[in-house]
Amino acid sequence: QTIVPCTVSQLLAAEQVDETFRICDVEISQVTVVGIVRHAEKAPTNILYKVDDMTAAPMDVRQWVDTDEAGGDNVVVPPGTYVKVAGHLRSFQNKKSLVAFKIMPLENMNEFTTHILEIVNAHMILRKNLMSASSAPPSFPSAGIGDMGGYGGGGSLPVNGLTAHQSQVLNLIKSCPVPEGMSLQELKLQLRSMSMSTIKQAVEFLSSEGHIYSTVDDDHYKSTDAE
Amino acid sequence: IHPTGKLFVLSDGVGKHTTVELSEPLDEEISGIIEVVGRVTNQATIMCVSYVQFREDKSPFDLELYNEALKIIHEFPEYFPFG
Repeated sequence: QTIVPCTVSQLLAAEQVDETFRICDVEISQVTVVGIVRHAEKAPTNILYKVDDMTAAPMDVRQWVDTDEAGGDNVVVPPGTYVKVAGHLRSFQNKKSLVAFKIMPLENMNEFTTHILEIVNAHMILRKNLMSASSAPPSFPSAGIGDMGGYGGGGSLPVNGLTAHQSQVLNLIKSCPVPEGMSLQELKLQLRSMSMSTIKQAVEFLSSEGHIYSTVDDDHYKSTDAE
Repeated sequence: IHPTGKLFVLSDGVGKHTTVELSEPLDEEISGIIEVVGRVTNQATIMCVSYVQFREDKSPFDLELYNEALKIIHEFPEYFPFG
């Protein structure tokens, strides 16, 4: 079970099937969110915060209070404070909220920047793992961003006979609805981190393996897989 | 900060500036890193709705890294959606 950094907008967009939430097919349960407290309401058994990360309207975050415990956890975080929330996503009557097991005021605002980068990194890796049908649970460091540049340049481990680059190119071509297929220019636009030569190599390989075929000219390709 | 307190100029740390306008004059002194939430006007200024001062008492804020992070999130809207 992993804890996934998310934006509020991602949490609101998450689809629920029975007890499970998914963001673009990635299963999520425990999440972290960084935002600013807009409102704090203290009740006998819990504190209700509204946390705003500017990607959507502020989200309800509930923190249960141990009434026997004195001090520490019972201190309400004042509005205007940036916090990192770790908790579980919940949905009740179609309204999403978080139940927090930890709310930490940010002492170092660089954690805010880190969280932003971790969100992109984590969701990119999680979706990539789904695409390459990996069964290993994803693990990514919570401190240290890893090599963001490595995602575009590396990814050369073949899975299902296709490298990550080839998979990406193939999936894009598969998803193209127009009859003349997807052009190399369009692929380059969508795959900004991939060089044109890498894209061309992937296209050549996919074409030779029979996954795609050229249509109007050598710059346009469609997938042979029926969608 | 303008003498009337209704205007201040922000620098993004890499040479660009922007003017922030307030509907009410500032009632406190502000300095350092400020995060402004507001609307862009057609004079290319920002009409401020709210602002918050980033705390830098424990560590300085790396504005350059933040700018790089922004470029990344705009490049990958599929992983960082603005709802």
